Amino acid sequence: MYQGVNASDGIGIGTAIVAVEPDLSYTPTTPESPEEEKQRYKAALDRFIEKTQGQADRMRETVGEAEAEIMAGHIILATDPFMLDEINNRIDGGMCAEQALNEVCDMFYAMFDSSEEQLIRERCADIQDIRTGELAELLGKEVVDLSHLPINSIVVVHDLTPSMTATIDKENVAAVVTETGGRTSHSAIIARALEIPAVLSVEGCCTNIHNGDMCIVNGSTGEVHVQPSPEELEAAKAAAHKAIAEKRALEIFRGKETVTADGERVLLVANIGNPDDATAAVEHDAEGIGLFRSEFLFMDAKELPSEEEQFTAYQKVALRMKGQPVIIRTLDVGGDKEIPYMNMQPEENPFMGYRAVRYCLNNPEQYKVQLRALLRASAFGDIKIMLPLVTCIDEVRQAKALIDVCKRELDAEGVAYNKDIEVGTMVETPAASLIADDLAAECDFFSIGTNDLIGYTMCADRGNDRVRYLYTVYQPAVLRSLKRIIEEGRKAGIMVGMCGEAAADPLLIPVLLSFGMNEFSVSAPAILRTRKVISQWSKEAADAITEEALKLKTAAEVQALLSAAAK
Amino acid sequence: MVSSKVTLTNGQGLHMRPAGTFASAMGKFASNVTVVANGKEVNGKSPMALMAAGIPVGTEIEIKCDGADEQEALDAAVALVESGLGE
Repeated sequence: MYQGVNASDGIGIGTAIVAVEPDLSYTPTTPESPEEEKQRYKAALDRFIEKTQGQADRMRETVGEAEAEIMAGHIILATDPFMLDEINNRIDGGMCAEQALNEVCDMFYAMFDSSEEQLIRERCADIQDIRTGELAELLGKEVVDLSHLPINSIVVVHDLTPSMTATIDKENVAAVVTETGGRTSHSAIIARALEIPAVLSVEGCCTNIHNGDMCIVNGSTGEVHVQPSPEELEAAKAAAHKAIAEKRALEIFRGKETVTADGERVLLVANIGNPDDATAAVEHDAEGIGLFRSEFLFMDAKELPSEEEQFTAYQKVALRMKGQPVIIRTLDVGGDKEIPYMNMQPEENPFMGYRAVRYCLNNPEQYKVQLRALLRASAFGDIKIMLPLVTCIDEVRQAKALIDVCKRELDAEGVAYNKDIEVGTMVETPAASLIADDLAAECDFFSIGTNDLIGYTMCADRGNDRVRYLYTVYQPAVLRSLKRIIEEGRKAGIMVGMCGEAAADPLLIPVLLSFGMNEFSVSAPAILRTRKVISQWSKEAADAITEEALKLKTAAEVQALLSAAAK
Repeated sequence: MVSSKVTLTNGQGLHMRPAGTFASAMGKFASNVTVVANGKEVNGKSPMALMAAGIPVGTEIEIKCDGADEQEALDAAVALVESGLGE
């Protein structure tokens, strides 16, 4: 079995087609007439551009506008006058067109590859695509052709290039396996757009997997089984059928309101980690964003991102969500999230240390940059500010005072923002749970972060194998804490949501509904399933099972009861 | 030679699409166009070179134009950057 990067969900079962790149080797020569050689290159370039344009047009119809843009980008790069000059200069200097092209592509590859920005480094794949395409034209060879495939093909390639995708026989592709690429690579984006299961970065797959090998590709877990046993194959087929049937059955919930069986409306929103994820949230029919982790802006940077950079990212999400609520959590640095340029000191116990809102409030000038960016973005949508790791009321007051300072600055500068922007807290510490009544009086909403709340309540690190058995949401201590938080919040009339993994747990959903929770923030692919589970429970039924659950003394009993009641 | 300074304000800095927009607009002029950012000088008519320079949003760049239609080229370049490079 091979483990790669899970890039596009689903299980694909079929026969491997290992697509080997064409032999594009050549013997460097010195052309007799540089002028004719330059014309030969120009003719190859023109053919390449014509083919690429055709592929871009086809992709626009079969895959989508964003993916076609990748091909249009190839044309932008291939027609670069600087590139043409560099190639022509080398031909004038006595090189053949193939060698000149290779050298110039090497040069640009090195320039892109050494960029500090990941987005630029990823463009190296475009340079390779252009090199392969133009070399093939010069040498009169065909590049990998995936336009006619046998049914249920598992396409195994070094890299799924945009030009391959344009012509791929997608009806017959069961899954894709590649040697390179991560979740944000072209291969991944395209595989997801085509809804083809894909596992990327499987080292040596083109040599270790052979044409005709039976493969099971699990794009959700990143596992690739080659030549599985008959039992494994049967199990995978059953799992694949089940997954497809479930997915189809959930489609009836698309575009519907999220309501309980007795018509109570709740909000079902998505957790995201970067602005691009908002697209996935919309695709999965989320009703807004319940948690936008702002750390990505800070973790990927070499220095503190400017107000402008942050504003752009927040604004992008606000605009994408078209007026739906977008809860953005302010920087949750520290704990397991270290950011080198912030010069945080090493600590004995970082999870209980100088982190999240503690760090931010002690660095108010730095915090203000983020708060101003959030306020400015609030002019473009329903942005709400959420404070992480709150343990006492002072933190909420200090943060709100700082937000007021930022508002006055923006007023003085004449910059627009939502004057009624909501400010709420993550409730993820036992302290916050115990003072939930006081917090609710000064907050506009709660969002329960179960991942940390369970850990802090049970004093158990889920990453520690020896204590993980304690780490479960079904522990009576955790349930009582949830009950308290939700009831105190609702008593004060504020929205109470949950953005931890437990919000999508079908066993727990009736309990949360019974407590009165009215916002569920889950990962985008869990939206429709969660909407379905919510629709199955009436207040009466949820109350009955919850009352039983609260009488039980152990996590195992609670889980058994809820499992038996699950629909 | 004429030159002017302007700040990049489009969404993501000089990535594929904006670099292509800028370079192809500059390609219509006879003058040489050079973009200076963070001490590096790159050919303003080359989307590859502009992208490779990796100029982030918020950077103040200097645009230099040299040739018969240098003033027109510069005016067009500045207007384009200020308008957000078609984004």
